[in-house]
Amino acid sequence: MSSTKRRDDRRAAWWFLAPVLAGFTVFYGYPAIRGAWYSVTDYSMLNTPTFVGAANYDKLVHDSQFWRSLLVTLWYVVLNIGSQTVLALIVAALMHRLTRSVVLRATLLLPWLVPNVTVGLLWMWLLDTNLGFVNHLLTSIGVGPVGFLTDAALAMPSIAAINTWAYTGYTALLLYAGMLQIPQYLYEGASIDGAGEWRMFRAITLPLLRPVLALVLVVSLIGSFQIFDTIAVTTQGDPAGATRVLYYFIYQQAFSYFQMGYASAAAVFLALILGVLTAIQMRLLRASRSDLA
Amino acid sequence: MTRRTRAAAALLSLAVLTGLTACSSGDGDKSGGDAVTLDYWLWDDNQKASYQACADAFTAANPSIKVQITQSAWDQYWQNLTTQLASGDAPDVWTNQGSYYPQFVTSGQILDIQPYVSADKVDLAQYQAGLADLFTKDGKRYGLPKDWDTMALVYNVDHLTKQGVKAADLADLSWNPADGGTFENLIAKATVDANGKNGLDPAFDKSKVKVYGYLPEWADGSQGQNGWGNLAASNGFTYLDKNPWGTQYKYDDPALAATIDWYKSLIAKGYSPALDKNSTLSRDTLMGAGKGAISYAGSWTINTYLGADAKAKFAFAPVPAGPQGRKTAINGLSDAIWAGTEHKDEAWKWVKFLGSADCQNIVGGNGVVFPAIKQAGEKALAAHKAKNRDVQVFVDEAQAPNGTFFLPITEHGNEVSQTVQDAIQSAVLGQSDSATALKKANDQVNALFK
Amino acid sequence: MRKFFGWAVMAVIVVATLFPFWWMIRTALTPAGDLLSDNAGLLPRDPTLVNFARVLGLTSEAEARAAGGSGAHIDFARYILNSVIYCTLIAAFQTLFCAMAGYAFARLRFPGRDLIFAILISALMVPPIFTLLPNFVLVKDLGLINTMAGMVAPSILMTPFAVFFLRQFFLSLPRDVEEAAILDGNGPWGIFWRISLPMSRGPLLTIGITTTVWAWKDFLWPLLVGRGEENRLVTVALGVFLQQSPNTQPDWTGLMAASTLSVIPVALLLVFVGKRLVQSLNFTGSK
Repeated sequence: MSSTKRRDDRRAAWWFLAPVLAGFTVFYGYPAIRGAWYSVTDYSMLNTPTFVGAANYDKLVHDSQFWRSLLVTLWYVVLNIGSQTVLALIVAALMHRLTRSVVLRATLLLPWLVPNVTVGLLWMWLLDTNLGFVNHLLTSIGVGPVGFLTDAALAMPSIAAINTWAYTGYTALLLYAGMLQIPQYLYEGASIDGAGEWRMFRAITLPLLRPVLALVLVVSLIGSFQIFDTIAVTTQGDPAGATRVLYYFIYQQAFSYFQMGYASAAAVFLALILGVLTAIQMRLLRASRSDLA
Repeated sequence: MTRRTRAAAALLSLAVLTGLTACSSGDGDKSGGDAVTLDYWLWDDNQKASYQACADAFTAANPSIKVQITQSAWDQYWQNLTTQLASGDAPDVWTNQGSYYPQFVTSGQILDIQPYVSADKVDLAQYQAGLADLFTKDGKRYGLPKDWDTMALVYNVDHLTKQGVKAADLADLSWNPADGGTFENLIAKATVDANGKNGLDPAFDKSKVKVYGYLPEWADGSQGQNGWGNLAASNGFTYLDKNPWGTQYKYDDPALAATIDWYKSLIAKGYSPALDKNSTLSRDTLMGAGKGAISYAGSWTINTYLGADAKAKFAFAPVPAGPQGRKTAINGLSDAIWAGTEHKDEAWKWVKFLGSADCQNIVGGNGVVFPAIKQAGEKALAAHKAKNRDVQVFVDEAQAPNGTFFLPITEHGNEVSQTVQDAIQSAVLGQSDSATALKKANDQVNALFK
Repeated sequence: MRKFFGWAVMAVIVVATLFPFWWMIRTALTPAGDLLSDNAGLLPRDPTLVNFARVLGLTSEAEARAAGGSGAHIDFARYILNSVIYCTLIAAFQTLFCAMAGYAFARLRFPGRDLIFAILISALMVPPIFTLLPNFVLVKDLGLINTMAGMVAPSILMTPFAVFFLRQFFLSLPRDVEEAAILDGNGPWGIFWRISLPMSRGPLLTIGITTTVWAWKDFLWPLLVGRGEENRLVTVALGVFLQQSPNTQPDWTGLMAASTLSVIPVALLLVFVGKRLVQSLNFTGSK
């Protein structure tokens, strides 16, 4: 090392990095600082921000609507992650044991490719109380029309189910990719020992899939906390706030009520939650890498 | 060296490309020359044709000013407008409504047109009483009235006839929150189950209702213009300490809670559909499909119910008279000029034209809404009569002494609307009783004004 | 027997995945006036293409009204084109720039390299909502509201994930080819353009396709920045269309026709690059 002159690509490096650094500074770094600043100001987008100290945070802590939206979000996260992960595991395990068909995988991926807005519209129509096909089916078997998106108790589970439909295929493919890394001979051996599919799933697939599963879970978790599009299209927070998630709360404060400062404070709060989750994700990513390497 | 040049060229071409897309998509309305194009926004697509006719007449009289009309539906309209205002690129002139415009006044977005009104000596007495004052604050004026609307009952004529109800039976309905008066009796009669039994029949099966007697509207903000607001007012409820520009709401008034409780009793008796069984279909479609017999209708929906495309035969009747008499919401719209417009004088010319008999006669002649100028309102009535539509009730109600109330005009309209609507929905859904939910909402709402 | 049961479950899942799409198309083919009476069968009674015609702006205002729409002007051909431009711009440039940066972080030596990389990656922890509000104000201050430039600005230059992903990839490339090129007198640019980039076609395509899909689904940002008719994306247009329906009631047949149009491009993507797409989906490919 000492004999050859250490290479220094400083000049070239700046060229390579220029666009990304510009993008980072202007659209990540600067706005992050500005967002933090807004959160301690009174700002409506139409006035100049004035410093108000911790007033926004104080209001946030005492705002029952805010806490409700956090609870509603958590409820969604639990419902969505639960159903989506279980279903995706089933689909992935089935594919893993049945077929390598690319056509099948592509078919299952289709809902994920569709914009959330389209997904929301499509299901709002399918679930409509009067004309929706799902209610037509239910009525024909004698179960009266169900107000999937208008019943306060059902609205959130319905939204979670809609997004489960949209994201299960995608999640399943991620898990499936993880399963493919499990050596085939383990199954062959177990099969010779007379193990059934269910036992193989529990004894081989699940334990060996754990790092991938953990990672997929955290990624889905981060996604679920940021649910917005589906709700913006279908319920817009109704009935009576039963689906007003945190993201929608922030959106409404900022763009309906012009409380930019207050909305920023709520966004800081959400950022903290997501920051912790992402830190966990990064750690898992590193762990799973070293596992497989 | 050549590689580096090439890369630099690539970067440069990117910059140019981005720049180009920016330019090509930039606004074309600021093109040079003397001609000015004004951006004008409205939300009612039924009225677009009338205002296009006004715009054409206006441009004919002022060849250097063109008017570009943009229509978007109610929710979208206000969201668009707020975003556009926030980004400093708003329409020059837009249609305003009471609950939304105060926030724009507070944030200095609407031009004070009082100097123009004084200079041009606009006659404010030509408008329906009270409308011009809705859009003033502290001696400043934020718009000229364009039209007004009142509420009436709309009913399915054939269905009610089958139930033995005559038009005369609806002419003077009474209502109170305790037993619902003759109004509830009518609703019960109009409710029919799958076996053909109506709501008064002891054998009526409320689990198999085929036609609901009354269709309520629950996405009705903090005003209840399409239902509860009118009944609550006839029960002695007032929204505010003073209107416009009050700072103390009174949603905790028992007169309102009693009204909501009455609505809940209709659902419990099977006369109205439950809120949690609501569909995306609007009330007029449900009425058209024969799923409801009676509902509230605003005068802006006259064409929907009496027009050629109506799916059933409908007629209008006066709203029921409550303990405090017969009350209907009257609402006025106005046109506002954006404070940031580059064409203030041209925008004023257009607003003045919109507020003049020249334009309002065109609007009235089309028979869609009732223009604010009294004579033009007469024209609208005549236009409806010519088409054989009986809409007299809307006009009678508007002219009845003490028969109308204005919708609240205050700051924080959006938040008040959301908070109160949530409270009413949660009461109707049975998550909380009406008085508690409304008291809580009222505290939240009034906290906004501190 | 066990396999049969497995396939049966799979069949149910496939039907549940695909049926909603059929229902979307079926509704799109139904005349609006029939919706109340004809909403149960698997096929519409009187199939019509008028809903497609009117969302593509091919009918007059009167015809659109007669077919159950509002009089508002809609032109989904244009919105889809806008979306395609939007996705292409973002996918192409973001991939290129992030590849450049990823390469620099993987191969070039310069002071502060690891620190800069760490700072960039820390942006992964900042959720979009946090930068969304200030970015909106920024784009507004730059006068870029309702321009394509304003819409693509925050994502065209970079995303931390793509930088991270491509750096990992370049680290895994064998060094010997590059070292041979250095001996031939190539500078960093030459190696990057002529050797490293061509060797990374696969990962670049992966990142490009994934970015395209995410950009196609973008809603909130373009909703805030690109509401105007000229630059409206297909997702935003669907949201606007939902609201634009006459008498506050969704114009379902028109909406389903427009929804169908919004699915066609991604369905085509699946047909043409489906194999690559599904094969590239391992857990590192998730965002």
